[in-house]
Amino acid sequence: MTLAALTRKRADHSYGFLDASAKRELRRAMVKAVAVPGCQIPYASREVPMARGWGTGGLQVTLTLVNPRSCVKVIDQGADDSVNAASIRRFVTRVSGAAGTCDTTAATLIQSRHRIPEEVLRADQMLVLQVPNPEPLRPVEPDMSRARQMHADADYARLWLILYEQVVRAGRIMQGAGYPALVNGRHVMTPSPIPRWDLPKLHMAEHLTILSAGREKRLYAVPPHTTVEPLVFDDIPFRVEDHAVLTCGRSGLRGYFMNELPQADGGVMHEVSDSELGIKAIRAAEGSGPAPAPTWYRAGEFRRA
Amino acid sequence: MAYVATRGGERAIEQAERLYRAALGPITPERVAGIRDGMPLLIDRVMGEASLYAPDLAALALAQTGGDLYEAVMLLRAWRTTQPRLAIAQPIQTGEGLTHRRVSAAFKDIPGGQILGPTLDYSHRMLATAVLSGATVTPRPVEPAARPAPASPPPLADWQRAQGLLAPLNAPEIAPDAIPDVTREPLLFPASRAHTLQSLARADTGGMLALGYSAMRGYGQAHPTVNELRLTEAPLRVTHPCGTIFSAGRIRVGQAEVVNAKGAQLKLGFCASFGWNEVKTIAGATLDLNSPNAAPKSPTNPEFFLYHTEPVEASGFCIHFKLPHYVTFQSALDNLRGAARQKAEPGVAPELEPAE
Repeated sequence: MTLAALTRKRADHSYGFLDASAKRELRRAMVKAVAVPGCQIPYASREVPMARGWGTGGLQVTLTLVNPRSCVKVIDQGADDSVNAASIRRFVTRVSGAAGTCDTTAATLIQSRHRIPEEVLRADQMLVLQVPNPEPLRPVEPDMSRARQMHADADYARLWLILYEQVVRAGRIMQGAGYPALVNGRHVMTPSPIPRWDLPKLHMAEHLTILSAGREKRLYAVPPHTTVEPLVFDDIPFRVEDHAVLTCGRSGLRGYFMNELPQADGGVMHEVSDSELGIKAIRAAEGSGPAPAPTWYRAGEFRRA
Repeated sequence: MAYVATRGGERAIEQAERLYRAALGPITPERVAGIRDGMPLLIDRVMGEASLYAPDLAALALAQTGGDLYEAVMLLRAWRTTQPRLAIAQPIQTGEGLTHRRVSAAFKDIPGGQILGPTLDYSHRMLATAVLSGATVTPRPVEPAARPAPASPPPLADWQRAQGLLAPLNAPEIAPDAIPDVTREPLLFPASRAHTLQSLARADTGGMLALGYSAMRGYGQAHPTVNELRLTEAPLRVTHPCGTIFSAGRIRVGQAEVVNAKGAQLKLGFCASFGWNEVKTIAGATLDLNSPNAAPKSPTNPEFFLYHTEPVEASGFCIHFKLPHYVTFQSALDNLRGAARQKAEPGVAPELEPAE
């Protein structure tokens, strides 16, 4: 046995870019987050070769979870081919040797900004959501120390109050994306700025979701089979976006979350926001690919599988 | 189809980056050396904000980013965070190190004397346009003083403490290993003093100036008087695994103390940073001075200034708004239209109908 046989050649970066101490810290934070669903766990948040606010929190979780057998999908605003998604996928596959994919059903690890895929996620898949502002209380209490105390006391009265004020002023709750939700009956979380359309997909899901905010140095989790209930009043039900009757101008899909594309003639066209679902549907119609997997919504109605 | 233009995946990204790099031209060792030697104060600023003392790497980062400070700092920080931590240096004491400049605005003369050192403070800021027509501006030689200034004058604060003007130092002795490291632990609030000073040391110079200036102009509680401003080359002492302490070289350090003379005793604010950056340390010390009992959401509240002067986080978040936001915007539009419909026909439940 020689000393050389026991050593490794020096490399500029560790496997998956992050060093072992950073990964260990993230794993511990993730275990805590799973143990206390919806509770924000602070972590150091290392600098990564991407600008803060571009998904560095999600990236650190992905880099910690990835292994050479992983199959990684990255979504930005529903699309796999938008610039930031392509850039993150390229970086993760480059430093980990994992395979990249656009197919939701093939992926084992999905990092996403602002969307949960329309196809139902399975127990063997993990979803990592990039979060810009993890603090649901930020609009009512920008002081972090006080907000933490309010979480400890489960004091969410001021959050209810802004929802009530919206109803009084606008006639309906005006919370767009990032609708506050009570996780496991204890912690209110902001589910990253996913549209309201995606929020029911987290409730009693089969898959694990980790939400991570790199700039704000906090992560939290929605474990499988955990309740996620949007904050609503008994007489004003929770409503997702009115997209149930919209039809995609490219794929013909109907009843999914859509992007609205203003047209030069003053009109409007819609395209399905989950770009891979649209591509799958087009290919299936042409007979050149499999049909999409079951989706959370069917004909615009949310149905639990 | 506005965002179709920003799609297109890997090839478009690749070409966009090439376009940027083509404008910068080749990066050569000579160019890096030129930046390092010709812009020492810029190098100091980047090293301070990146919290990595490495002039060659800082110059390389500046060359690679074409002088975009925030990009250069990000590049350097992403590199440093993966590097192993080999040792923890001994704390640098104010009264040690080779002092190049040391001034006090509180007293006309102080023990150890005022040492002006290198500064542009009293220069006439006139552009040497002749250089552009071919002339070379050669600095006039420095004439040594008849009597050399002391290399390590004592801290003014020591004299003030002896006089009872400043409260005695009651900082507990902390083992080097027990000092928290803000680059490996999250900043939590209320922040410990170690975290506050570490964060200030690597904070954004411009951001600190803006918030410090707001305090100086009257949005804080205290008028700062520069008690002592020091630019030194400080020894970097580390402990060898066999136990001996040795010097691993010198680093340029800038530090500022400002005082407020309103109460019964002087109150002191402090800031230090890698490199010689006087604006940053004076602004930082002013924030530190104003932070006790600052109003919760004011610029001199530690939570406010520490979050908002973090250069990599602030710049990154600012430029992320260039990324598409159409999903969240769509969700907001849906509410907007729903509310408008409800207003037009109050009492009627909004129908599910396609947006126009």
